[in-house]
Amino acid sequence: MEKVLDRVQSFFLDMSVLEVMNPNVISVRPDRTLRQVKEILRIKRISGVPVVDSERKIVGIVSIEDIIKALEGGYIDEKVQNHMTKNVVCLKSSDTLKEVIETFEKYSYGRFPVVDENNRVLGIVTKNDVMMALLAKLGLVYLHDERRKEVLESPDYFDRSLITGESLDKSGADFYFPIDYYDINLAGVGASKLRQFLLSKGVDPEMARRVAIATYEAETNVVIHSGSTGAIYCFIKPDSIFVRVEDTGKGIDNVELAMKEGYSTAPDHVRELGFGAGMGFTNMKRCSDNLMVVSKVGAGVVVEMEFRRNREGSR
Amino acid sequence: MKLSEIVKALKLEVCCGNCEIDVRYGCVGDLLSEVMAHAKPDSIWITVQSHVNIIAVSVITGIRAIVLCNAHSFSSEAIEKAKAEGVCLLRTDKSPFEIAGRLYGMGIEP
Repeated sequence: MEKVLDRVQSFFLDMSVLEVMNPNVISVRPDRTLRQVKEILRIKRISGVPVVDSERKIVGIVSIEDIIKALEGGYIDEKVQNHMTKNVVCLKSSDTLKEVIETFEKYSYGRFPVVDENNRVLGIVTKNDVMMALLAKLGLVYLHDERRKEVLESPDYFDRSLITGESLDKSGADFYFPIDYYDINLAGVGASKLRQFLLSKGVDPEMARRVAIATYEAETNVVIHSGSTGAIYCFIKPDSIFVRVEDTGKGIDNVELAMKEGYSTAPDHVRELGFGAGMGFTNMKRCSDNLMVVSKVGAGVVVEMEFRRNREGSR
Repeated sequence: MKLSEIVKALKLEVCCGNCEIDVRYGCVGDLLSEVMAHAKPDSIWITVQSHVNIIAVSVITGIRAIVLCNAHSFSSEAIEKAKAEGVCLLRTDKSPFEIAGRLYGMGIEP
């Protein structure tokens, strides 16, 4: 649970201020009068405006409180530059939501301009903007969750074997490995563990080898291409071994094309490491006796492979 | 053939692992899937690929030793992983072509 909270927290707190801020800033020049500002605030229904020079660099800020003081003090027709707050607390474009919240806690102001390295105004953040950004992000989370649910709950897609059509009791798998990492350096950990597991169960080494090779390819695909996490399930049956590798990532648009030898969409940085030869499915096909791939774009990929035990014996 | 004989004859630098093992087959390649497709168990693998994933490929396919050519270096991660998995890592300034030719001449099988 703590882990989940940590993840959710970082999901929100790491949001860039650029996602949170309102980029359509209403600002005034220093030579305007406070009365003009009062009119702008009234017409635009806002509570403060940054004051900028001719290069849009921030020089001050005027809030509705300053206007009230001006009305009380009788200087509402004087220029903004004489009465604005000059030490403006600003957010940097590199800040995250975490810093935005900390800034709101530290200062009692209602709004913070976001500036670039030259102090030029890029946007403005009010508490309302923070709330709207969080709601928008929650909307995305919610959508993602619904989509997962659809995939997970569809019996034809996720709970039935693609090869046999039988319903699959994944909790009864003899081997389970969650592909819960995105680090390409770790690719193949699950397949290596599966190989060891099979050997420990007395499976013929040559057979364990071809199961591991095919699983390695499927696992690497999840890490490189899915953009999501996934899982490896293995069932040991009397005359065959059955492996299922699934993910809930972006899916394959054209499975037929992806199965073609030499076809790969791996990015260059991955190819430099020796991946992306377009051999993945070819190797899976070659090593297994039965291969099924089903994918829905945006919903993930399921790869199922059957390895018959008599193949080694008949050689 | 004993790996130690090969190390001696080709003057290979041993980065980690036990050289008192037998290797029978050889393979050459830098694309991991290509190697997975063709390498036989008890092989010695000639490559310029030094990335840590070569260890996983070796373990899965049954490759016993890796010769890294053209003076490339293994990452410390790769060496740690190889030690843990019992894969022998070797390196040389020579080219994959020369190493392959010499091994073939010594009787390592394709």
